[in-house]
Amino acid sequence: MTDTLRRPYVAVPDVAESVISMVDVGMTYPNGKVALVDVNVNIPEGDFVFLVGPSGAGKSTFIRLLIREQLPTTGRVVVAGRDLSTMRRGQVPALRRRIGIVFQDFRLLPAKTVYENVAFALEVTGATSAEIRKRVPRLLNLVGLHEHDDHLPTQLSGGEQQRTAIARALVHDPAMLIADEPTGNLDPVTSWDLIQLLIQINAMGTTVLMATHNQEIVNAMRRRVLALEHGTLVRDESGAAYEREY
Amino acid sequence: MPLVRFIAFSVVRAWQGFWRNAMMSLAATSTVVLMLVLLSGLLIVLAGLDSGLQYIESKVGVTARLIDNLPQEEVDALVLDISALPGVAKVDYISPETALERLKEFYREQGQQLDLGGAEITLYASVEILLTDPNQAGAVQGALEGRPEVERITTRQVDYQKLLGIIGYVRTVGIIALGLVGLTVLFMIVNMIRIAVYSRSNEIEIMRLVGASDSFIRWPFILEGILCGVIGAVVTIILVAVAWEPIKPIMVRVFQMPTAVSTEFLAVLSAVILGVGLGVGAVGSWISVRANLSSTA
Repeated sequence: MTDTLRRPYVAVPDVAESVISMVDVGMTYPNGKVALVDVNVNIPEGDFVFLVGPSGAGKSTFIRLLIREQLPTTGRVVVAGRDLSTMRRGQVPALRRRIGIVFQDFRLLPAKTVYENVAFALEVTGATSAEIRKRVPRLLNLVGLHEHDDHLPTQLSGGEQQRTAIARALVHDPAMLIADEPTGNLDPVTSWDLIQLLIQINAMGTTVLMATHNQEIVNAMRRRVLALEHGTLVRDESGAAYEREY
Repeated sequence: MPLVRFIAFSVVRAWQGFWRNAMMSLAATSTVVLMLVLLSGLLIVLAGLDSGLQYIESKVGVTARLIDNLPQEEVDALVLDISALPGVAKVDYISPETALERLKEFYREQGQQLDLGGAEITLYASVEILLTDPNQAGAVQGALEGRPEVERITTRQVDYQKLLGIIGYVRTVGIIALGLVGLTVLFMIVNMIRIAVYSRSNEIEIMRLVGASDSFIRWPFILEGILCGVIGAVVTIILVAVAWEPIKPIMVRVFQMPTAVSTEFLAVLSAVILGVGLGVGAVGSWISVRANLSSTA
């Protein structure tokens, strides 16, 4: 850990070509906790990016800003060409259909089957029955769960539950997929299976941003790495490995 | 079509939500029924009292009994004088013969016959004064007092004032009771929806993350409250309809007014029950959704 690594990394923003762009973004919570400091990031379309950093580094805040669950206290966040600070409340649902998100804890509805969990995301956005019947089997096929469509989440392994969550995240053909610690609850073999799926999704043109602590995966993949520490972006490096800046 | 899908989605979700927390929903619905039964009772009693009031209003007038053998020209002069008084709508002279005819008619209506045992009676002649406003009875009575042609003056104004007082009292007590029960109902529905929101917080979070609009998230909860109110109203209407036949004779006996228990009145009462149930459900759930379901951040 060196002083050089602790200095904020400043990239030159190129908002026009980025699917995600953060310009001088700072976030301080009402209780005074500083979550992000002057973060500048551009993620072009089709990129596969790891977001790394210790707990409390600001990864969750980073993700919350991208889905406009929160607004930055300074700077601006542009997603898919839309400045989230000036976005009206009524436009937020449309933004979220452009972003798929999965979490470490899957967040599936336990009383619904695999099929129903995925269909639910279409149903609550006003999709027709015909659209649902067409899209859900295709997505379940993509994530390899077409034979488990009538299973409840409790009848699935962790990896299968995460695949269901990914299928649900992809129902609206999002421009990007945000995965917040998707392998956190999975064993190493299952984690790799899931990474293969994310690579496949990325290869189809979807930008993938994956927050992770999994050093093995980051090192093996050699993709772009964004490293946060105490709310500061301390590294933004392509083809990088997992380094312990902290 | 998107609107139809939205409505279908919201109604189905509201129905599922209602039965998912069945105990809470049924408790809230029971309080709605209690409130609406109270409201129905109050409206029925008030309608009966109003009918009675209208009847008395139409009968409130002043009757002046005249001295015996008053010459016709003096009767005519008296009628003219009374007609000129303020608040007087109509003045009728009732001769002893007409009075006897009325008495016989009264007996006939009761299914009896006036039997005088062969004797002949002469009833008093009188002047019946109809008023434009029942509250003018005192003034008219005052104007007649002291006139030599008049032997005695009677009026139903006291009955009218008494009934007016009763109606006011019943209305006040009823409205206060209804207000208290109404607040309880609102509280129950607000709580029902609050519990529903918390029990479905995972679903709501997922809906937000996958891009569901506020309408898709909120309206099922508002409809759930409306459903509670409407089910309560339907149950109350059934109860009132079942109790209607036993109530009718009681109403007629107490208020002497069959109009208070007409089929039209039942139809109006049902519409009021449905409207109030729906309104209370909508207001309660709307309050709860506003308080417990923040907008898309």
